[in-house]
Order: sequence, then C-alpha cells, then structure tokens
Amino acid sequence: MIVLRKIGLALGLPVVLVAIWWFASAGSTDFYFPSLEKIVKAFPDTWFGPRMVNDVLPSLLRLAIGYVAALVLGVGLGMLIGANPRLRAVVEPLLEFLRAIPPPVLVPILILIAGIGSTMKILVIISGCLWPILLNTVEGVRAVDEVLTDTCRSYRIRGGLRVWHLMVRSASPQIVAGARQALSIGIILMVISEMFAASSGLGYTVIQFKDGFRIPQMYTGVILLGLLGVLLALLFRLAERRVLGWYHGIRAVQKER
Amino acid sequence: MLAVRELNKTYDTKGRRVEAIGEVSFSVADGEFVCVVGPSGCGKTTLLRCIAGLLPPTSGEVHVEGKKVTGPPDGLAVVFQEYGRSLFPWLRVADNVDLPLRAAGLPKAKRNELVAEALESVGLADAHHAYPWQLSGGMQQRVAIARAIAYQPRVLLMDEPFAAVDAQTRADLEDLIRSVWQRLGVTLVFVTHDIDESVYLGQRVIMLSSSPTSVAEDLTIDLPAERDQLATRSDPRFTELRGRVYAQIQKAKQERQ
Repeated sequence: MIVLRKIGLALGLPVVLVAIWWFASAGSTDFYFPSLEKIVKAFPDTWFGPRMVNDVLPSLLRLAIGYVAALVLGVGLGMLIGANPRLRAVVEPLLEFLRAIPPPVLVPILILIAGIGSTMKILVIISGCLWPILLNTVEGVRAVDEVLTDTCRSYRIRGGLRVWHLMVRSASPQIVAGARQALSIGIILMVISEMFAASSGLGYTVIQFKDGFRIPQMYTGVILLGLLGVLLALLFRLAERRVLGWYHGIRAVQKER
Repeated sequence: MLAVRELNKTYDTKGRRVEAIGEVSFSVADGEFVCVVGPSGCGKTTLLRCIAGLLPPTSGEVHVEGKKVTGPPDGLAVVFQEYGRSLFPWLRVADNVDLPLRAAGLPKAKRNELVAEALESVGLADAHHAYPWQLSGGMQQRVAIARAIAYQPRVLLMDEPFAAVDAQTRADLEDLIRSVWQRLGVTLVFVTHDIDESVYLGQRVIMLSSSPTSVAEDLTIDLPAERDQLATRSDPRFTELRGRVYAQIQKAKQERQ
C-alpha cells in the first residue's frame, strides 16, 4: 500500500503535465509545435529500429565508459590527494582552476588532440565528471575519523584492507554525492560531445532532425533523453541504497533517538 | 612485561610548551591487571597512546615484551573509549571482529572459530549479523571487547572503556573484563577516572598526579581474586583502599590549584 501510494505521488504531477500537454497541443497545426499525439506516434519508428543500435547504445556505452573511468580516476586520485596534506596544498589551487573550466569549452581542444571519434567524446565526459568525484573524495578522506584511524593502526589493518575499509568506505557518503553530480554532468556532456563534428549518437540525431525539419522526431529525441535521465537516476538510487545502506541506517537511528 | 621508563610528552603549540606528561615510570608484570587512575585532564589518554605506540613520547621509552615501542607493537590490542567511533559502521558485528584477523592473514576457518568464540564470551552470540549502530552503547563496547579478545593479544590496553555507558551496564562490563582477564591471562592496563572502578578491577592501582603527570602512588590491591559487585564493594578493605586512592587524587587536584 505504502509503495503504491509513493508511486502514485511520484507519478501524479508528470501525468497531469503530460495530460495538459496532450490536450493543449491536440490538433496543433503549428509546424514547430506538433501535437503530442504526433510525437508519441513518431516515437517507436524513430527509436525502436536501427537507431537504437547505431545511435542510442553507442551514446550510452560512451557515457558508461567515461563515467566509470572518471569514478576510478576521481576516487583513486582523491584518496592520494586527501591522504597527503602536502600534495593537497600543492594541487588544490590547480584543481579549483580546472574545475572552473566549463567542459564543453574543451571540446574543440580535445578534437584537435583526439580527433572526432569516440575517444574524444569519452574524454569530454571524463573531463566533466572527474571534478565533483575527485573533490568530494578529497573532502571525504580528510574527514576520516581519528579513532578509526588509530583502531586500524593498533590492529595492524594495512594495505588494501585499510584503503578499502578505512578510507574508501569512510569517504563513501561524499563519493556518492560527487558521483550523483557527475552523473547529470555526464549525461549533458554525452549529448554535447555529439553535437560537434559527430556522425552518430543521440545528440547528433537530435541535431539532424532539427536540421532536416523533422520536428516531431526532434521532440522524441528530447523526450528519450529525459526518460534515460530518469532511468539512470533510478539505477543510481538502487546502487546508492546498497553502498550507503549503513549510512542511511545510522541517520534513521539518530532521528529516532 | 610492560615497562614505562621516564616517559615525557611535551606538546609545542605556537610558542607555548605544554608538558602533558612530566615523568612517568612503572612496570607491569606478565598477566597482571593494573588500573591507572588520575584526576581528569592528567594525561591518562596521552600516556596510554604512548604505550600503544600511537603517539611517540618526547623522551623516555616504553618496552613491551622486552622490545622498545616505536609503533603499535605486535600482540597488543586497544579498546578505545569511543566505541561508536572505533567500530566500522559499514561492517556487521562479526566482520568488525574479523577484520584484524583478516589483516593478520589467518585462515578462514580459524577466523570464524575465533570470531564465534569471542562474541560468545561477551554474550553477543546472536548479534553476528547486526550493524554496530543497531546496538546499545554497552553492546557496542562488548563488540569492541570481543574484537580485542579474538585478536588474542598478550597485552590489552583499555582507555576509559566504560566512561560512556550507564551504571548498570558498567557493572556488568566490569565483571566481564575480570572474567576475560582471568580466562586469557593477558597483561591488562586499564585507564579510568573512576576511583571505585580502579579499586574493584585491578591487582594494582597506579595513581597519577595532575599535569605535568608523574606517578603519585603505586598501590597493591590486596582484595581476594574473586570479586563481586556486592560483596567486594561492601568489604571494609575495599572502603579503606578506595579512601586512600580518593585522598591521593584529591591531593593531586589541590596541588594543581
């Protein structure tokens, strides 16, 4: 019952908005604002065919590779920088500078370096996703509890066990917060990287539709991107529940007391 | 054997020298149960951290089993006051007890045996799969004690382990520690600010002066080995010893003022 009510609450507003859109646009003759009915009808033909394999999946694959690479790189470097105060003092101003550069601006540079293939697109995604993960990991590692650190020293917990159970797990709430920001940045960059000098992908396809005046199809691309965003956010939540179960558990216990 | 020789700890903070420990010397025989008691703020925790190899002394030496302490010594376990911060909140109770054993590279079967035995001996045989934060404070400290037991130390240091639990739990835990000590035959150094507790638990009470700390008195507790919360505490000899420790601590406090 509670689950059903939750689903109802979550879907209520979107359903209302879609209904308004549906009826307000019904019978529209405006070329640039086709009726929702037309858009929905165009959806299956547009996406459930070769485009799924040629454009959607490659886009998602590039996003996945770039995102995971940023995650590994960000957590790894974050551990290193967070655990070394001297290193942190040296690189922190640089990191702030790099973070302040809007990643789309790097696209022309990366095209010069890496060409216009998948490598460039993945690099663009990494260059945007890395910073929130890296900086949050640094903060998380700095905040590792001293008593827990002493416990590890006393009980001779070292090497990989120490890195994982003391540093990574301690910092995991911050890492997850960074990873959540990075995911939305990654989706944006996935699209943007395909709008420059590309020959396939979701972003490229939407631009193609626009240039070809295939307006309903263009809208379906926007809707598909929105749906993918929601799906990825849901997957992220599932993963977070597994990774941070202990953290939410503690917070729930503290609230009760 | 454990020996503390002319230990001094001085902190230098921005032109201000704070002598936390003036000069402390004492030794503890193998298998002995010694309580260290002193007025609050007398550097008890600093002393214990020096013995545990977590803090380098400014001068003087600590020897554990004939070896000079330069880092956390082999075969020495610490139970910290802040149980909530010394247990890994992302690990279940059994995994918390297990982690030092994993770090020591013991085979899985042996580890399981030690973990089960240790949890059984602290009365937590059915809490293997709980997370520490799901347990009460007293139970969390039992987990920390179980972790120390499973580690099979030859020297066990306890830093005001019961300071944060309620009085009834405290009495239970005191008896638990007595029985663990008798069963395992470990050398036990128990730091506390509670005068009654120090007399009730140990074979010897080392009283510290106020900061800069030195040993004010080293008192043998000649109470029978079988201790009982009711009988022992109403023993006239207990009252006498307690009075003596109390007077010494009061003196230490006044000297400071």
